[in-house]
Amino acid sequence: MLDPREPIIRFEHASFGFPGLIALKDISLAIYEGEFIGVIGPNGSGKTTLCRAVLGLLAPVEGHLHIFDCACNELRCHHRAKIGYLPQKGVVDRNFPVTVLETVMMGRYGALGLFKRPGKKDRDIAQEALAQVGMASHKNHALGQLSGGQQQRVFIARALAQQPKVLILDEPTTGLDITAQHNVIELVQQLHDELKLTVLLITHDINMIRSRVDRLVLLKTRLFAAAPPAEVLKPEILHQVYGKDLVITEKDLVIVEDYHHHH
Amino acid sequence: MLDLLAYDFMQRSLLAAAMVGGLCSVIGVFVVLRGLAFVGAGTSHAAFAGVTLGYLMGWPPLLLAIVFGLATVWITGWVEERGRMKLDVSIGILYTATMALGILFIGLMKNYNAEVYGYLFGSVLSVTPEELSVIGALTVLVLGLLLLFSKELYFIAFDQEMAEASGVPARQIFFLLLTLVALTVVVSLKTVGAILVFAMILIPASTAYQLTHSLATLTLYSATIGIFTSIVGVLISAFWDVPSGPAIVLLATTIFFIAVFFSPKRERRTRLVHTH
Repeated sequence: MLDPREPIIRFEHASFGFPGLIALKDISLAIYEGEFIGVIGPNGSGKTTLCRAVLGLLAPVEGHLHIFDCACNELRCHHRAKIGYLPQKGVVDRNFPVTVLETVMMGRYGALGLFKRPGKKDRDIAQEALAQVGMASHKNHALGQLSGGQQQRVFIARALAQQPKVLILDEPTTGLDITAQHNVIELVQQLHDELKLTVLLITHDINMIRSRVDRLVLLKTRLFAAAPPAEVLKPEILHQVYGKDLVITEKDLVIVEDYHHHH
Repeated sequence: MLDLLAYDFMQRSLLAAAMVGGLCSVIGVFVVLRGLAFVGAGTSHAAFAGVTLGYLMGWPPLLLAIVFGLATVWITGWVEERGRMKLDVSIGILYTATMALGILFIGLMKNYNAEVYGYLFGSVLSVTPEELSVIGALTVLVLGLLLLFSKELYFIAFDQEMAEASGVPARQIFFLLLTLVALTVVVSLKTVGAILVFAMILIPASTAYQLTHSLATLTLYSATIGIFTSIVGVLISAFWDVPSGPAIVLLATTIFFIAVFFSPKRERRTRLVHTH
């Protein structure tokens, strides 16, 4: 690696999955502090597995994964708290009886550790996180009463309340209307710029992020590319992964045929 | 009615009912939110099988109830974690199998034992001072642990994987919750009985669920409803000479339906339907 910095996340020939079912194979990838990374690839290509691995929820079956210079399977609670995570929509029950502030406070729980009760400092951190996503005035609202875009902001605030170094977002725009999609991506960019967060953004929507990210990581079980968008978004590279689902228009816009929504 | 309160047995049963009502309704919040309702039902039948084995062999019934209850929840939790089969399938099998064991053990008893049936249907009015102290000790233990780990328990109820991802030892907390459910069931066996304890866990929390959007308020409402219905249920039971378990559960059920009817959530849904 030419980069003189120490990577914050480092995959070394790492494979993930179960015996007989490999979700990610032989991944070698270094992610540096402050990078904005877009993770793309077709459905079932291992994008979410990559997230779960970085979160320390999944140890490699082969190879190594180091996060903050700590092996993933030895990842301790205080390390995990440094990674903020926005899970895929639908994972969380959005009608759960919880207020916005209570939701964001949960972001403090892992960082606090067992036996410690959240105090004023934690509430201040949670409120600040809400302010950062522009939801401070909604703190006493029921989570279930908010729109999809607002809920995403609250979940991003929960991740921020962990005071993370890394922010992982798993398809944060899925199911939102176009305006809300842009607002969420805009917010992520702003957090990356202002808080110097290392961001891993998983998405189907290449066009939405191509002008914002430092590098695109292209996955389909294997790592096909990890480079600036201009180097990755080339027909010969994308075709390997997307095959016939790839359509490129005259304006050089990359459109990936969206078969992901047939869940 | 006031005369009744002068009796020792009456004071004991009111105290026992209040403790059990409070305990069941607080743990019920986590059971309902984490989607473990059916686990509560399965555990109570397993615990009853433990009681029958205790009477059959002359061993302490409550101790065996704890062993059976814990074995059931731990197997259930382990199966869920492994993803081997759906939770409702595994608990459904354990539920009926332990009930079959209970019936088998009763069948093997030489004599009819009325006390065993007390554990099935509950008889809070016959709680002895010794049983009251066991109930008291277990209530303090379970509520203490719930309080100590409340933030983690709320988090895993909301989203276990998210909790784990942000550094909460979610698996251990999940097994703690299962363990506390089993202990709660055992504490409640004598007062509301194996069949109805499930209702005591489920109904107050579900009632509170209709009334609020805040976790803290939900817990407070649930505990209030649980304690209130238990005490009033016992009074009704003593005053009109009806069985205590059904009195408590039917009172709680009535309040549940009133809450559903007047729920602010229901109103909002109705409005939404009209505006669209």
